[in-house]
Amino acid sequence: MSREVHALAPDEFLEEVHSFEFWFHSVEGYLADTEFGHRPGTPEAEIPPDRRERLITALCNYCIGETAALEGASGLIGFAPNRQTKIFLATQVVDEARHLEVLMHRMTELGAKDPEAEIKRRATRTLPLFRRRLLELVASKDWEAAIFAQNVILEAMEFAAFQAHARNADPITREVLEGVIKDERRHMGFGENELGRRLAATPHVRARLLQVKRELDPLVLETFEEMLAELAIPRSERPELGRNYLATVERLGFTA
Amino acid sequence: MADFLSAYSIQNWLESCPQGYLEGTEYGHAPSETEPGTILENPVLREDAVRGTVQLVVGERCALAASSGLINAAPDEASKRFLATQTLDEARHVEIFTQRLFDLGVKKSELEDVIKSYASPHLVAFAGVLLEKVDKKDFVAGVVGQNIVLEGLAFSVFEMQYAVNKDMNPKFAHTLSGTIADERRHVGFGENRIGSLLKEEPHKKPAIEKMQKEMSYHILATFADAFRRNLKAFEEGQRLGDRQRELTGAAPGKIEWQGANLAQLAPAEMEQLLANTVLKEFKVRLGRLGLEYQTPATP
Repeated sequence: MSREVHALAPDEFLEEVHSFEFWFHSVEGYLADTEFGHRPGTPEAEIPPDRRERLITALCNYCIGETAALEGASGLIGFAPNRQTKIFLATQVVDEARHLEVLMHRMTELGAKDPEAEIKRRATRTLPLFRRRLLELVASKDWEAAIFAQNVILEAMEFAAFQAHARNADPITREVLEGVIKDERRHMGFGENELGRRLAATPHVRARLLQVKRELDPLVLETFEEMLAELAIPRSERPELGRNYLATVERLGFTA
Repeated sequence: MADFLSAYSIQNWLESCPQGYLEGTEYGHAPSETEPGTILENPVLREDAVRGTVQLVVGERCALAASSGLINAAPDEASKRFLATQTLDEARHVEIFTQRLFDLGVKKSELEDVIKSYASPHLVAFAGVLLEKVDKKDFVAGVVGQNIVLEGLAFSVFEMQYAVNKDMNPKFAHTLSGTIADERRHVGFGENRIGSLLKEEPHKKPAIEKMQKEMSYHILATFADAFRRNLKAFEEGQRLGDRQRELTGAAPGKIEWQGANLAQLAPAEMEQLLANTVLKEFKVRLGRLGLEYQTPATP
């Protein structure tokens, strides 16, 4: 794509950044020459058995988050307000499905024989609750609340968790997570843009979204606690993760 | 099942589609290709192209709604992941056919009005039958309606249009060739996945056969509508072709598709050929799934 997107008028900018073409050119930069999210030549590190087990548990829970994101994004297409938004969400659907696939594939590389069974067995308490609530919002066809839960809260949660994990991960897991993080950045940008414009036009929506945030924040923070303990991430880094999540959400003015 | 579904992974899709036959394209065709002047400068041919493209947009919007809606009804992770790739394929088709409308001179501000005024009511009714199954989260009926009936229909229509446009409008022909490759993958998934599910739920067959009959009726009505409305454009195309041949002395062209020379067929004969091809394909594909093809009423 030869056009400089930031030089475009607002309507043209949205048309461009929500398009398949834009997605196509974005992902080909970092997915070309990868297989299941990492370069084929990246060496497998020696991972002690207990750490390997904890890593598989973390990946299982990431899969629950990505499945929620896949089901949420696909459900949103049905009542998205316009063509550009539907097309963007379709790119997000395939991104989420790719994340699910690469994470499950990573589990098999680490020795998990039946990833789907492991996901059921190792799920944390809070993440399935978050998934259920997100899908309830999608099923109620409440566009603002569902986009907020999906593209702001869930994406911000994953973004913060994957960034923290990538810093401490083995080389292959790090590459897989870095590709996922690049996608999440695009999804969060969409959520912020979509809701930012709507909130400017209809400020009364904010109160409803604050209620959703109050409901979901404890689930997000508890999920972080469970996941970080599993990954043995130093206690000193754990508050930073919560702060990163809250800062992302606060950019939209949600501070309560 | 797992082995067959691994062929429909995101990794395979990335390698075959965005990094394969779409590499180097913009909106499905080479960046240098444009709509021919004969269409853009002739009001009758241009309107016919707009009308025809609107039907493609309407069909692809239906496919986008259906494939995304089926993800939450899919019984396993691998099917969800395949349907995610199909969702993006369908969104791409919506985008490239919408872009063709813009290339044909439709203003962005007029897009929805143009679609509303040209969309065939029978195609809209066809979409309604399918989306009702999707809304009810009926995965088996939804996949038969989407990946066998709708995709089978699109496959034949696109192939016929490809044959017609291959020499006359390479830009549109290239746009179509990428979608044909996608539809082939979607039909393959439908046939492979639904066969095993129908064995588990044979009681669903009568309702699915009824749906196929209803959808087939709307297909035939859409074709009748489309071929009746393009008579003027057909005559204009003939007139321009005759004049061109007078000037150049060239022999009449040949457009082969399904054993016929489309260049020599009248619109009613083309309609019959297309309808027969689509229904014959349904019969074969449904038969492979153990479903009995139901002959629709004649519109």
